[in-house]
Amino acid sequence: MKRKQFIKNAALTAAGSMVVPYILPSGRLFAATGSRRANHVVFCLFAGGVRNLESIHKAEGNLMRNMLNGTEAISADIAPGIVQLPSLTSTPLQNAGTLFKEFRYASGPTGHYNGHTTAITGKYSDESIQLKQPPKYPTIFEYYRKHTSPNTSALNAWWVSNALGPYPYLNYSMFDGYGANYGANMIQPSSIFNGSSASVLGNPLTLSQTEKSKCDMMRDFMNGQFKIPQAALSSGIVNTVADAEHLQTWLNTMIYQVANGNIENPWGTGFMTGDMVNVYFGIEVMKEFKPELMVINMTDVDIAHFDYTQYANAIGVADYALYKLWDAIQTTPGMANDTVLIVVPEHGRNQDANSVIDAYGRYALDHNNDQMSREIFCMMAGKGVKQGQVFSQQQGESVDVVPTIANILGFVNEIPFGVLDGRVLSEAFA
Amino acid sequence: MNRPTSFLNFRISEFPNLAIAIIFAVLISQTSCNNVKRYIYQVQEQELYQTAAQKLNLKTTDQFISIAYSHLFGISIANNELAKYNVSLQALGDKTTMQDMIVKSMINRGGVQLITDANMRSDIPAFIESTYLRFYNRKPNEFERWKMKDLIEKNTDATPKMIYYSMMTSDEYRYY
Repeated sequence: MKRKQFIKNAALTAAGSMVVPYILPSGRLFAATGSRRANHVVFCLFAGGVRNLESIHKAEGNLMRNMLNGTEAISADIAPGIVQLPSLTSTPLQNAGTLFKEFRYASGPTGHYNGHTTAITGKYSDESIQLKQPPKYPTIFEYYRKHTSPNTSALNAWWVSNALGPYPYLNYSMFDGYGANYGANMIQPSSIFNGSSASVLGNPLTLSQTEKSKCDMMRDFMNGQFKIPQAALSSGIVNTVADAEHLQTWLNTMIYQVANGNIENPWGTGFMTGDMVNVYFGIEVMKEFKPELMVINMTDVDIAHFDYTQYANAIGVADYALYKLWDAIQTTPGMANDTVLIVVPEHGRNQDANSVIDAYGRYALDHNNDQMSREIFCMMAGKGVKQGQVFSQQQGESVDVVPTIANILGFVNEIPFGVLDGRVLSEAFA
Repeated sequence: MNRPTSFLNFRISEFPNLAIAIIFAVLISQTSCNNVKRYIYQVQEQELYQTAAQKLNLKTTDQFISIAYSHLFGISIANNELAKYNVSLQALGDKTTMQDMIVKSMINRGGVQLITDANMRSDIPAFIESTYLRFYNRKPNEFERWKMKDLIEKNTDATPKMIYYSMMTSDEYRYY
């Protein structure tokens, strides 16, 4: 063998021996960087500010009958103000997982946006937090999309928010090396899927495939003549052309269904609160895109500032919506038996009431950084989570959720050392 | 004794240096930009861009919607309608996709000022000129004139509506 041929063969053999082990039976070129506990995580922020007293400790009876064991009766004085929704299960969610009864939002202002930011970034925040710009530190979506190999589509990461204001900013951060390129798709369903939006978006121009190709060709030429200025602000998350078409088709389908009254009472409850609507469309996102990571929130319990009894009622409604979410996970092909659900409030509420009294003689509650407003719970259920486990002592913090999700999806070791404040909640896993 | 100086009792004679600075600034502002050509059209008194490269800023959601509406309908958008579109745009993270949906819905409504296909094809260079002015607020360069003419001539089924839609969903349209 000539020297040149020998070197060529040796180089090819070496290259092959390096590449072949990484070509997986699934056809993926590279494995995810760490082993996964499950392929999907749904993180539900049971938010709006809920005290452990009324939730986990059942001070007004068991308001969360789909989530918690127990049949404690609701306090007689407020019972007439509580809507009795049908129980969805005889085996509450806590039996399918691990419950941390004394979780903590240990630091930072007990504001809704601070609490959300902490839960999604794994970093405690302070008074300097900005409401009109993305968070300072990377979000769980960016960690997931940047450190999962091969890089995942943006349709695999969703932030389903039940409010506008600052919340849409939580799908990516301003952190160097992360940002919009690794962000999640964000949707605030109740602002798009309603009669008002349907009236302006409901009759779009439709193009045949040929017409679309011609428009694409003309647009490509126009885009070729324009250089997007580097100094301009980020225009946000960008999907690939194919993903954007998929997204638009789904949005149009939902808008069409709303415009035609097909989604007026989808759960047969006779009413849909903001939390229920958000979870309903979150489930639709899940069914359509089967995201590996979805974060969704509920915030109706914040009525507690003005009406305690309605706060207690909203806890029960949120519990009902949460079980609908869990049920949908169990029945969605691709997610069933391969998903971990994590449920955490963003913060609690004050021990002392304010001066607003409701129709049942109860005083309302604010949240101003006292000890009780830092007391929250955490429920984890699904693949690989220990079933029926309860931690009653103080254990775990809200900053632990991000590393725990990263551990479940197999990229926790790829996150730069020292960025995160929390730890993996390993004790929750079987 | 020094008197406290409030806005109401301010007297310029007590601040000679400030008076000189103001006079100097006024003179500078009157003389410094006389050599710049300004193109002002009477309809909306908008200054034309001389090249696409002058567009450096992303339009806000309000700007994108209200400009798109006035480009298509020739009138300002009503506040309640602007609010409806605006909320939809805020409620989706992928702004490009929602802008595409907004343009598709606006362009499909009655009242859009749309040239007919026959009129477009009777004088394609004039159509290109007026369309660039209308949507990009600038004149096309020579290459754009030639290429767009070529595209329209070769694609006999390309309609003005398709061309408007393509322009309004292009990168340049999102900047000012």
